[in-house]
Amino acid sequence: MDEEDKAEAAESRQLETVQSFETIGRVGGNQSDALFGLFVTEEETMGVKIAQKMGWRRDQGVGRKVRRTARLDDNVGANDASSAHMFAPKDSRMMSTIREDANRKGLGYQSEARLGTGKEKESEDRPMLALTFLEGSSKTQAPKKAAPKKSSFGVGVLNDTGSDDEDPYELGPKITFNKTIGKNKKAKKPSKFAKPGAGEQHVFKPKKVSAQSAGLPRLSHDGKPPLPGFVLATQYIDLTSKKRYPPPQIPPGWKSSKPVTPPGEHPGQQSVSDAAKASTLDAKARASLLGETMLPGKSVFDFIPKEARDRLASITGKTNLPQGRGEGAPEGYQDPNSSKPKDLWTFVPVLDKSTAAAALAKGATGWMPYAEDPAKRTRYTGFLSLRAGLRTDLPERPANMPVSDWAKELQEFAHAAEVFKPSTGLMASRFTSSTSSSLPGNANPTSNKNENLLRKAAAKPEDPAEQAAKLGMYGPMTRSNFPFHPSRLLCKRFNVRPPPDVPHSADAGPHGDGHGFASRTEEAVSKAAMERMMQEVLTKGAPALQRPAWMGIPEQDKESAKGVPEVEHANVDVERNDALTKERAPEDVFRAIFGDDDDEE
Amino acid sequence: MPFFPSTPIAKLTGHTGPVHAVAYSSSPHTYLLTGSADRTIRLFNPSKAPPSSVAPASSAAYAPGLVTKYSAHGYEVLSIDVNAANDKFVSTGGDKTVFLWDVQTAQTIRRFTGHAGRVNRGVFGGEGDSVIVSGSFDGTVRVWDVRSTSYKPIMMFSDAKDSVTDVLVFDAEIVSGSVDGRVRSYDLRSGMCQVDVIGHPVTSLSVSKKGTECLVSSLDSTVRLMDRGNGQLLKAYRDDAFVNTELRVRSTLGFNDSVVVSGSDDGMVFAWVLLDGTVLQKFRHSEMREVKGKVDKKEKGNKDVVSAVAVCPSRKEWASAGGDGNVIVWGLDP
Repeated sequence: MDEEDKAEAAESRQLETVQSFETIGRVGGNQSDALFGLFVTEEETMGVKIAQKMGWRRDQGVGRKVRRTARLDDNVGANDASSAHMFAPKDSRMMSTIREDANRKGLGYQSEARLGTGKEKESEDRPMLALTFLEGSSKTQAPKKAAPKKSSFGVGVLNDTGSDDEDPYELGPKITFNKTIGKNKKAKKPSKFAKPGAGEQHVFKPKKVSAQSAGLPRLSHDGKPPLPGFVLATQYIDLTSKKRYPPPQIPPGWKSSKPVTPPGEHPGQQSVSDAAKASTLDAKARASLLGETMLPGKSVFDFIPKEARDRLASITGKTNLPQGRGEGAPEGYQDPNSSKPKDLWTFVPVLDKSTAAAALAKGATGWMPYAEDPAKRTRYTGFLSLRAGLRTDLPERPANMPVSDWAKELQEFAHAAEVFKPSTGLMASRFTSSTSSSLPGNANPTSNKNENLLRKAAAKPEDPAEQAAKLGMYGPMTRSNFPFHPSRLLCKRFNVRPPPDVPHSADAGPHGDGHGFASRTEEAVSKAAMERMMQEVLTKGAPALQRPAWMGIPEQDKESAKGVPEVEHANVDVERNDALTKERAPEDVFRAIFGDDDDEE
Repeated sequence: MPFFPSTPIAKLTGHTGPVHAVAYSSSPHTYLLTGSADRTIRLFNPSKAPPSSVAPASSAAYAPGLVTKYSAHGYEVLSIDVNAANDKFVSTGGDKTVFLWDVQTAQTIRRFTGHAGRVNRGVFGGEGDSVIVSGSFDGTVRVWDVRSTSYKPIMMFSDAKDSVTDVLVFDAEIVSGSVDGRVRSYDLRSGMCQVDVIGHPVTSLSVSKKGTECLVSSLDSTVRLMDRGNGQLLKAYRDDAFVNTELRVRSTLGFNDSVVVSGSDDGMVFAWVLLDGTVLQKFRHSEMREVKGKVDKKEKGNKDVVSAVAVCPSRKEWASAGGDGNVIVWGLDP
């Protein structure tokens, strides 16, 4: 080989993409397996996985095992019967799973711009069945592109002149990938499925190609040849434009031997709808005619009252509705309350159990409405307890109160309970109850009646100190003390030593804590938090020295932990609040931890 | 009986609204600072303002005796206090701020905001006047730090349930009086607050030199002298003609704690002997004269209130500030 030959050989060498990376089409692949090859990209679908779990392997067929000889090479087979083994059946070709509706039209569909009527029965030299609808009929129609269209007006962007059956939206690749590098000299006409190099490569064409078997697939999809007398089709028969054959010519003078009745004259024959309209039977009568056993079910018309049924009939216009019978509900389905409409219980309004309980609770701690009428108040509490589930009997009705008033009063109670239940959450934090005296029990009994008429504002309890001051008795009665905590800076400014925080015992009133806390200064770390931290440091050691939990607890900690659970109940003293009044840690500790920004003396 | 100064020796004019605050400068008490509803504070030299002074026709001209005018408040000036060094003073007013002024430059050094209502009183306190204590209509007493640059108060007392009308500082104690009828005395040394119930809205506080008694004015036309140790009433000062039921009117102890001097709602100034409660003298501010005998009731609608009085600690001299915008300085006959 000399240089030129080498150059030629080099020219004919192409760079191809590896087979497995080709998604569509293949270079020079086995034509008969082209369909197969299309789907060899290993998809691990669930079905594949399941089958594999059950013992199937790829490239095997599914089904009963076949006894045959081993096929060691493609075409060479040993003919020994002794070497026959059980093999899995041959894998069958997969049916196409391409979107079948991509190119399917309904019967009688005529796409645009059909070139002519004589094109359907093209017999193409087609290798296999399935790619028909992929490739369309472009190969043979391509030379006829210039034929004028007859049907549509104008040509759209997507409408090629020559491609009728080609759906522009079909899932077929119109893209022609250049699978080879350096193959510029493709003089091939552009076809749909670019198989570059297909024409150039030397393909072995057997000389003797029978017309029958040239392009026809030999076997049907299950691997067996078609039934005798049948031939596998290469393409679907186009039924869209069937040739219509004219009806046979009637010989002149022939008369039919059958009597002819003109249409429309059918005496004695009723259509179904006419029969239905003429019928006078209802469902039950028909059932009895037919001899059916009655169904045990009751229709709704048995239960609805007559007026409702008549209303329905008038609205719908159907007069053949069964009569409304207005029965009562069957056993076990009766509503206990509705069966006694005249009962007094109907007047008792419904109140949510939790609301009633809350309103009761509020009454226990704070204030109950109807302060001026104790009897009404007791009725109110009675109603609340009924609704809260504590009682079951009817709220009492005083003898002189008519039922309507009593019912109204109960409604009022229900509303009052809704309104006066204690507020919770955010709203509660915004309001505090006023301190008011309870029932004016100690008021002058003679003037009680007058007071009931006038709703007096609840009088503030007379502060004994105020009373003493008004009397002019200033002294111990008018004086009270409470602690406040001056800030350190303040004491510094006044040049006084900050007072030690002594836990006060008796002289501070219950409001003392609130005051002391209110006048708390704005410190970066609150005293309580600071003391807590101090205690932590003192008991557990500095945080740096604390062991993480996974290192295990040393012995002494376990013992101390045991000692702790003994003290179960913490004494809660309302008067004292140790968090606020605990003794401050010594100054030095504070200074050591936090340092001091100001100049210290 | 102490000879009570009853001759007007100076008249300080120029204010165009009722004068609500009057304060002597610190020793030697040469000057008087007055604060008025016209939003200005004026520094007067009383010796330069003879009683015959007339307010100048135009506000631009200087009234006789006026040294400096300080204008920065947006609302009426309600109180003034001078520090011991005589170089700064604090003024408070309706604009909810506390102003710290420099006397010489007539500029505010610091302005403390934070109160939610008009600031009724502001006084110096602490060592070297390092803090300012202010009481306000919002019921709080706030302590502001002069030395630092923080805008937040060092401490805030919000125990009062109503407007705080007066505060004073005595040594390491802060005393506040409130409309809720109580006098609260916060002792910084012991960390305790003593509450005295007066029973009527408290409008003015004054404390004796020893600090054991305090003078409380209340809106029931009574001035009471209370014992601070046990809260008992020592003396009550009343008079038929003494009316103080609506307006905040100042009262003070004077002349070595021998007399009680108080303004009133109707333009009278009263002076009682401390020890026995007898009325020493009464003065009608607007007429600049002492009133002897019965006092005829003034017509209604006259805003002739004497809302502030100040007694000079060193001389026999005192000043009364009236609703007409004038401050009369009373002294002994020369």
